[in-house]
Amino acid sequence: MVPTSYYILLSAALFTIGVLGVLIRRNAIVVFMAVELMLNAANLALVAYARERLSIDGQVLVFFVITVAAAEVAVGLALLVAIFRTKRTTDVDEVSTLRG
Amino acid sequence: MDLILFLITAAVALIGAIAMLVSRNAVHSALFLLLNFAAIAVLFLLLQSPFLFAIQLTVYAGAIMVLFLFVVMLLGAEQVEDTPDRIAWQRPLAVALGVGLLGVAVLAALRYAPGIPPGGAAAATFGDPAELGRLLFTRYLLPFQVTGIILLIAVVGVVVLNQYGRSKAALKPPPGD
Amino acid sequence: MEWLIWLIPLLPFVGFLLNVFVIRHERPAGLVASGLVAASFVVAVTAIAMLAGLPEEERRIISVGWEWINAGDLRVPFGIMLDPLSAVMVLLVTGVGALIHFYSIGYMHGDARVVRYFAYLNLFVTMMLFLVMGNNMLILFLGWEGVGLCSFLLIGHWFERKSAAAAAVKAFVVNRIGDAAFILAMLAIYANFGTLNFYEVTVAGEVQPGFLERVPEIIGQSFGPSWQPIALATGISFLLLIGATGKSAQFPLFVWLPDAMAGPTPVSALIHAATMVTGGVYMMTRTEALFAASPATQTWVLWVGALTALIAGTAAIAQWDIKRVLAYSTVSQLGFMVAACGMGAYVAAIFHLLTHGIFKALLFLGSGSVIHGTHDTQDMRKMGGLRTAMPTTYWTYLVGAGALAGIVPLAGFWSKDEILAHALSHNHWPQLIILFLTSLLTAFYMGRQVALVFFGTQRDTHYHAHESGRVMTVPLIVLAVGAVIGGAINLPWGHWLTDWLHPVLHEEAGSFNPVLALIATAGAVGMSYLGWWLYTSNAAKVKVGGKDPAYRYTGDIWDGLEEAWYVDRLYERVIVQPFRGLGDFLARVFDPQGIDGLVLGIGRFFGWAGAQVRELQSGYVRTYALVFTAGVVLVLSFMLIFTR
Repeated sequence: MVPTSYYILLSAALFTIGVLGVLIRRNAIVVFMAVELMLNAANLALVAYARERLSIDGQVLVFFVITVAAAEVAVGLALLVAIFRTKRTTDVDEVSTLRG
Repeated sequence: MDLILFLITAAVALIGAIAMLVSRNAVHSALFLLLNFAAIAVLFLLLQSPFLFAIQLTVYAGAIMVLFLFVVMLLGAEQVEDTPDRIAWQRPLAVALGVGLLGVAVLAALRYAPGIPPGGAAAATFGDPAELGRLLFTRYLLPFQVTGIILLIAVVGVVVLNQYGRSKAALKPPPGD
Repeated sequence: MEWLIWLIPLLPFVGFLLNVFVIRHERPAGLVASGLVAASFVVAVTAIAMLAGLPEEERRIISVGWEWINAGDLRVPFGIMLDPLSAVMVLLVTGVGALIHFYSIGYMHGDARVVRYFAYLNLFVTMMLFLVMGNNMLILFLGWEGVGLCSFLLIGHWFERKSAAAAAVKAFVVNRIGDAAFILAMLAIYANFGTLNFYEVTVAGEVQPGFLERVPEIIGQSFGPSWQPIALATGISFLLLIGATGKSAQFPLFVWLPDAMAGPTPVSALIHAATMVTGGVYMMTRTEALFAASPATQTWVLWVGALTALIAGTAAIAQWDIKRVLAYSTVSQLGFMVAACGMGAYVAAIFHLLTHGIFKALLFLGSGSVIHGTHDTQDMRKMGGLRTAMPTTYWTYLVGAGALAGIVPLAGFWSKDEILAHALSHNHWPQLIILFLTSLLTAFYMGRQVALVFFGTQRDTHYHAHESGRVMTVPLIVLAVGAVIGGAINLPWGHWLTDWLHPVLHEEAGSFNPVLALIATAGAVGMSYLGWWLYTSNAAKVKVGGKDPAYRYTGDIWDGLEEAWYVDRLYERVIVQPFRGLGDFLARVFDPQGIDGLVLGIGRFFGWAGAQVRELQSGYVRTYALVFTAGVVLVLSFMLIFTR
């Protein structure tokens, strides 16, 4: 078997890439993808620990995460479409009317 | 054998993630993310989670990514980042923070580093989808139901978000157009 | 019987209410105002007739309306009274007041705010009646402040004129000084006597003592070391003296009265003759028991009165304004009254107060008639020769001037002589000399005024002088008759007033000194003639805007007299200007730079800080995410380091 820590390190790397995606990319859809990537990284860690502890509860949690992620994507993308209809853009920097 | 398989899959996942990050084209990003999701699905299989493997492929790689691609193409948002970045100064900061975050995560992972997962009879039967299903409908019944409600609300929300604009647009065109 | 005395102050009050809330036109306002004051006079005469019917020891009608203040030990009934002293004051206030009201109908005809004027006039009389009829210090104080308020309102009646507005404020502010002392005296009386009532009164079956009746008891016995009661009486009476100097325009607080000439002339008559300034003398007479217990204060009162008489008398000589002469003359005559109080000759003080009230009202109304007939001319240099144009005014004025100068047998002679005789018989030599000199000055400036106004030829011919209407001359004639026969109430052979006031003041009639009377009369006649002769023979030298003929002999002293010994200028330099300077400094330097600097500085700092911090809200979601991530890294690092 592969040591669990390998999975954790991989999860950390993927999560960091997701964070960078949120911080660097301007395309709202790509930002969304980066968020999904972070969720997946977290899922991976959860599954790895579940195997480590031989506890299937971790897998149940991942199941829930995936379901909620699906709902979140649906609503998020609907929001994007709504914003696009008024702003004609998916650039998050353009959506900055709430600045001080 | 497992280790080789893990290393290859991990490499594919990392490459997919990095490629998603750096692609200029949003469609490419989506496709690289699909690759990444597939690799993670394989890793789930390596971790004795066949049910999650299936869900990862169907829900994530299937449904969600299709939705992403659909929206990208619907909005024609493949390349919106050709204008100069107004807050380019925060890119190095972002990278530095990313490195810091990674460092913290790695340190945490190493400090509590678990070794090789246990084997034995319990490990052999671990990850049975039947067992997972039983848990879902017994101990986690309430969260399961709540998940259903969340999905329902999401559906309603999506409908409302798009219904509102449409009915208004039907009455009179927005002044900006 | 008891309820009758309530009508006396309430009738003018009804007039006030009617004029404030109901009446909108000049004619009904004047008729209602003067009618109700006249009615009050009639009621007063009736009540006094009843009072006279009582045995001498019982001549005091006290009526309590309701319990005004009931707070702990402090019990103040709203009670008024009518006793012989109040009675003569009430007669003066309502009688002369009614004539002045009547006269005002003619004088104020066509004024823009005449209804308001009559309302204030009624309130003035009401307040003065409360002042003289109150059976406790607080009601006296109510009237005291009430007349202060009304004087402010009436002096400032033509508030469009800056001088009138300033004079109103000055009268109010200067009076405040005396009022503050009066309040302190009131507190001291309450603290030591436990009551503010003058005389014992029964309220709801409960007997409340009066402090005047307890003065001998408290001052005499219930204190330890022997100096304490004297000190107490001195303290209280000295505070009361300060109060009286404010209200009765004594040195050094007399400066408001000459300025009060800015008001309409009938108001000056009301303030000077019937109401207001007599309040201080009345108050000292009422609390005479306290003054009697303190020889020190008595001496002060005597000197204040004598000096005021002299200062104001000398100032009156050098005035050009017809009303200012009379104003300083009033101050001077009030000095006579206060000096009489200081000598213990309270009857003489009240006697002089009454006669002075009559002939000074006559003089003021006469000067008002002159001003009216010469189209608002007040400078005597612009007058002259008016005796042919306005005969009634001339003759009545002559009577008033004679009475003031002390020509026998007019009213002023008898009352002034009584004061001088008292000073002589009690060996107050310095004061006697001062007062005698002042009476000579009085005769001189009245001669001068009559000469300047009525004799010679008219020096300014830009106006056509005419006699005033009957509504104004009738009060003059009535008052002139009063000025002739007024002295009869206390002739040396009858001394009716002394007997009448005996239940209150317990004074015996003073002796009549024929030698003094002869010298005084000779002096008065001589000085009157001198004044008249000087200004009729030098009439050609009096120029509009020019100097007085006497200036040639006296030089700058004359200027000093014209400014009333520079008391006003002293206040200006010592009090007003430093205050202005301080106010100026506060307004121009401290406020904009200190207060505003601080306040606005704080505001500006936060505005600046807000503008700086505002930049943080860039509106870029990615920036927020960056900060958020930084926070996450920090918290995670913290947990990594500090947890095991």
